[in-house]
Amino acid sequence: MEIYESFLAEVLIDPETLQRRVGELAAEISRDYTGESDLLLICVLRGALPFLVDLMRQVTVPHAIDCMAVSSYGAGARESTGNVRVALDLQTNIEGRNVLLVEDIVDSGHTISHVMELLNTRRPRSLKVCALLDKAGRREVVVPIHYRGFEIPNKFVFGYGLDLDERYRNLPFVGVVDLEKYNSTR
Amino acid sequence: MQDYTEFIDQIIVDEAGLGERVADLGAQISRDDAGEELLVVCLLRGGITFVADLSRRISLPHALDCMSLSSYGVGRFTSSGNVRVNLDLMTNIEGRNVLLVEDIVDSGRTLAHVLDMLRTREPKSLRVCVLLDKKERREVDVQVDYIGFDVPDKYVFGYGIDINEHHRNLPFIATVNLSKYTALSE
Repeated sequence: MEIYESFLAEVLIDPETLQRRVGELAAEISRDYTGESDLLLICVLRGALPFLVDLMRQVTVPHAIDCMAVSSYGAGARESTGNVRVALDLQTNIEGRNVLLVEDIVDSGHTISHVMELLNTRRPRSLKVCALLDKAGRREVVVPIHYRGFEIPNKFVFGYGLDLDERYRNLPFVGVVDLEKYNSTR
Repeated sequence: MQDYTEFIDQIIVDEAGLGERVADLGAQISRDDAGEELLVVCLLRGGITFVADLSRRISLPHALDCMSLSSYGVGRFTSSGNVRVNLDLMTNIEGRNVLLVEDIVDSGRTLAHVLDMLRTREPKSLRVCVLLDKKERREVDVQVDYIGFDVPDKYVFGYGIDINEHHRNLPFIATVNLSKYTALSE
């Protein structure tokens, strides 16, 4: 038995459903950016990494990728309302580029909203958001999500890039944690 | 941005070959570290595809962290200088089992510098997994514990490795026909 099975409440999105949806998003993105040669996909580290890799493999229009790492000033990890600190900025100058920000999950929306404001000051030609998971019930600010993988309930999820105390980002599914059981395993 | 079919020389590792070898490496790492907990470190940006796939093939609980490096002052083809850290690890590696994952090692200088730097932090173990090893180009003796494929001293692209920032998303690794590529770029 895998260790995570002892605290996995349910598999929210199984691997087949995930991959099918990633394929659909990639097809949609490829259609929308047809004829554009300067698409830049931005991976927001570290949670979006598996999603970005699987997504880009199926995006058929030419594109570059870049990575950004951000953290919040002061506020706790699970309630980020503060400003955003850029730990790793883009290597690419996005002025005049079509930019697609790829996120694993949007919940309150504060972080992504700050990142978008910051990137918009650099005058990209377009700036859109692709989020695998949307916890719409937690939203505190309006965030335009142009490509949405799944809308999910307000539960603690892990797997496919999302960690549980830094582990399990490598799981091929998105699962819900039974927090009581999880805490008792530690 | 050109269509890669106009400058590709040959596919040196195809999609199936990559999938099998990455699975083998994942299994080997899982055996070698059985009972241990790992920190997998991705060197951005070339390593992301490899790390995303490898991580899914490692059956041990592990954390994932990223580092972004560049060399001081020298060009891409002659990285002999010291290493500048653009993004350092979020994780304190003291006492941890660390697996550094790289897309490609050629001169070995960057890798040697990173290893020296990380060793000063006293990890419990520090190992290196590279997808591609260009042994002919080696200039310094550097530790590599897991190698995906030995490759000739040619310009390669695909599977995370870019050519002029493009084509990281191709599912195979191919060599470039440089004269065709240069002619197309002019």
